Amino acid sequence: MSVAAVAQLELRRLAVRPLAWALAALTLAWLAWTFVLGLGQFLGAQVKLAAVADAPGFTDLVAIPLLAELARLAFLVVPLMTMTQLAGERRAGTLALLASTGLSPWRIVTGKYLAVLVWLGLWLLATLAMPLAVGAESTADWGKLAAATWGTALLLATLAAIGIACSAATSFPAIAAAMALIVTLVLWTIDRGAQAAGVSGGFLEWLSMATHLQNLLRGLVVTSDVIWFALAITLSLGLAIRRLGTDRERQ
Amino acid sequence: MNGTILLNVEDVSRRRAGRAAVTDVSFTLNGGEVLGLLGVNGAGKSTTLSMLSGALRPDVGRIHLRGNDFVASPGVARRLIGWLPENAPLWPELSVEEHLMAFSRLRGANRPAARRAADAIIGRLQLGELRRRMAGVLSQGQRQRLGLACALVHEPALVILDEPANALDPIQVGELRKLIRERAHAGAAVILSTHVLAEVVAVCDRVAILHEGRLRHDAPLSGDGAGTALEATFFAIATGAAA
Repeated sequence: MSVAAVAQLELRRLAVRPLAWALAALTLAWLAWTFVLGLGQFLGAQVKLAAVADAPGFTDLVAIPLLAELARLAFLVVPLMTMTQLAGERRAGTLALLASTGLSPWRIVTGKYLAVLVWLGLWLLATLAMPLAVGAESTADWGKLAAATWGTALLLATLAAIGIACSAATSFPAIAAAMALIVTLVLWTIDRGAQAAGVSGGFLEWLSMATHLQNLLRGLVVTSDVIWFALAITLSLGLAIRRLGTDRERQ
Repeated sequence: MNGTILLNVEDVSRRRAGRAAVTDVSFTLNGGEVLGLLGVNGAGKSTTLSMLSGALRPDVGRIHLRGNDFVASPGVARRLIGWLPENAPLWPELSVEEHLMAFSRLRGANRPAARRAADAIIGRLQLGELRRRMAGVLSQGQRQRLGLACALVHEPALVILDEPANALDPIQVGELRKLIRERAHAGAAVILSTHVLAEVVAVCDRVAILHEGRLRHDAPLSGDGAGTALEATFFAIATGAAA
């Protein structure tokens, strides 16, 4: 009940905050432009594609690249969305006020996380509406698109959890955003060195977020990938809850 | 609950920024009682109030509110508290009504109950005209009244007010005093922290004076000369003459 009340409060605050609307408008405009360009190129290449056996279709050439573009934008957008969630509240003094209502740290963190998830879910749906509108009239690979959507949703949920954890760690929203950006980029690229050295299949490759998203974007739903995202979310939220719990000792 | 012990603070200490902010503070507070907490800047008032509101955990000592231990069950204890911190922190993008609804809902009230509670406190604090106004555009005095409304919306057993008369005009100060007495008559215990001695004399039954983190004075206020006596005691403690 209280988790829902926190989520509802946070959603209301997101709805009246210009940042959420500005980010949604700008990124959706960019994604729409990307989609139109991709669709134009796909239509222009129809003659060539018709001559190739098992040629990539609308899903591979338009829909999944669009989701991949959303994933790229999310590395910047999600830290901006999460930076004020706890850091801003702590700085404004409203976090202590929120805690004084008797809410436990896990309720506060979960409520705020759910609110960000709702916003990100709507962002993903608005993006997905573009290929769905066209795909409904064509021969889209729905299974592959569903797997890619699931992968993108898991990525957004993970970025949001990391963003919340970074927001819990500081009183400065800008530092929280920078921390979240750096942590997520490190997680994304952590196996680059190993790749360059020609090493594959090691721990660093498993640790890399890119490894797990690529499978899903290719249409492969592998349990270990889903578990990786679930672990990352649980660990991040756990750290945020723990950090909030120590606020009463730290001040 | 008038006359029964509501709050029991036992040997509470807390260090902040490497120094002892509060040392061995003990007192009890009955339902229906209004306690004035006085002290110069840095005396430990805010740290004490933060511990009583549950925002800070004591390093040692125990705080019980209606028998609920603040350390063992902080959630239960904190639901019984209404806290107005200094400068009334609020969410600038939410309206007066949304604040009150939120504070009620966060404490577990369902939507109709939260609506009723918000309407009642809006009526009591004459916030009707500001109902739909965003907190970010309120004047300091209006923010203070909204902060007070947020602290009282769930009819708490213990009301903690840190400088509640800040930025209020004389009429609003009179209203605030009436409201504090009203809550006390209803059985709530009230702790009022202020720098204004006249405020304490006007509204409190008892006064506690903190100095250098220690409770140096805790006595009832009564009689016509209460103001003068309090002033003398306060200055004696604050200047070290009473050491």
